[in-house]
Amino acid sequence: MSEAYFPVGPGLGMEENFLSLDDILMSQEKLPGRAESALPRLAVLVGQGASSAESVPEGSKLEIPLWLAKGLHDSKRRIISVELPKIYKEAWRTVFSADANVVDLHKMGPYYYGFGSQLLNFENPENPEIAQTILQTFVARFRRIMDSSQNAYNEDTSALVARLDELERALFQVGQKGLNDFQCWEKGQASQITASSLVQNYGKRKLTEVDG
Amino acid sequence: MEPAEVEFLAEKELVTIVPNFSLDRIHLIGGDLGPFNPGLPVEVPVWLAINLKQRQKCRLIPPEWMDVGKLEEIRDQERKEDTFTPMPSPYYMELTKLLLNYASDNIPRADEIRTLVKDTWDTRMAKLRLSADSFVRQQEAHAKLDNLTLMEINTTGTFLTQALDHMYKLRTNLQPGEGSHSQDF
Repeated sequence: MSEAYFPVGPGLGMEENFLSLDDILMSQEKLPGRAESALPRLAVLVGQGASSAESVPEGSKLEIPLWLAKGLHDSKRRIISVELPKIYKEAWRTVFSADANVVDLHKMGPYYYGFGSQLLNFENPENPEIAQTILQTFVARFRRIMDSSQNAYNEDTSALVARLDELERALFQVGQKGLNDFQCWEKGQASQITASSLVQNYGKRKLTEVDG
Repeated sequence: MEPAEVEFLAEKELVTIVPNFSLDRIHLIGGDLGPFNPGLPVEVPVWLAINLKQRQKCRLIPPEWMDVGKLEEIRDQERKEDTFTPMPSPYYMELTKLLLNYASDNIPRADEIRTLVKDTWDTRMAKLRLSADSFVRQQEAHAKLDNLTLMEINTTGTFLTQALDHMYKLRTNLQPGEGSHSQDF
């Protein structure tokens, strides 16, 4: 194992993976919504006012992070209602079903799959279509990710991953590792002993500590 | 697994060598080897064969399949069929590399063999990618891949299993209510 720690992958479902860094980053993506009841003195929390005395009037539009939306969303008490981000709406779903490969998921996402799966928590009537579109998008984009990750050897891959979502990027890296390890072995470099990446990073960290 | 580990496993395969020294039967944990007599062919694991070869204590007799005619046949067969054809050795790639690197003077037309094996490998990898793609596209639940070798599984295995893992999770989202599973860790 050359990794310094074992990364926990994203949950990719209705539940987040508590220990996944990707899921933590994903949960602070903003979500459009509306206040269904007045929220006194909470304007600071949803980023709408400067002082803690201001309140959010009923019906005002909000941009709240996913983790907060999940906590406040309650079909009985109706504190807030959540709308779909435009990438998950009907119009974009049509684009995805036409050709998923042309969409720049990094710009639109960058956690398209994880965030989309989380949206299923909000009991939207369009949920089945959203889940279906996300799955179809993954299936349609799979071939390109596989081919580019398995064929780009010793190349600059930044152009290849530029339009990929974070989940796809992780997948791309795995594919690249398989290819690189094999090529390395074939050229006979695998038998050379190199310093562990842990040791290399440790050396770097020490240097920065000295600098700082 | 890393390719070096796969290579390590391949080194247990037996090859025939002709030693130029004499030695009694040697007893090792993995089994007995020998006896070695000058000029008499004997079967030994690849790791020992390479070691002896490097010290110029033996001549290596290439495996039966490591022959230009046979490999051409295998390559053509591989190109003709849609499914994977059985390989002459489960470690064909590793053995080719090891034997050609260390004992190329005992193998006739070594360069051609290298090219032929590489061609076969490329054909098989392209096939593997093609079948992986159609597997994902049709969203099948299971597939059977016969005659794949360990090195081939090792290069695309992690990528494929991870992709299928993602796909499975996204598919569980289609059935609301069942998708809520507890933490993995």
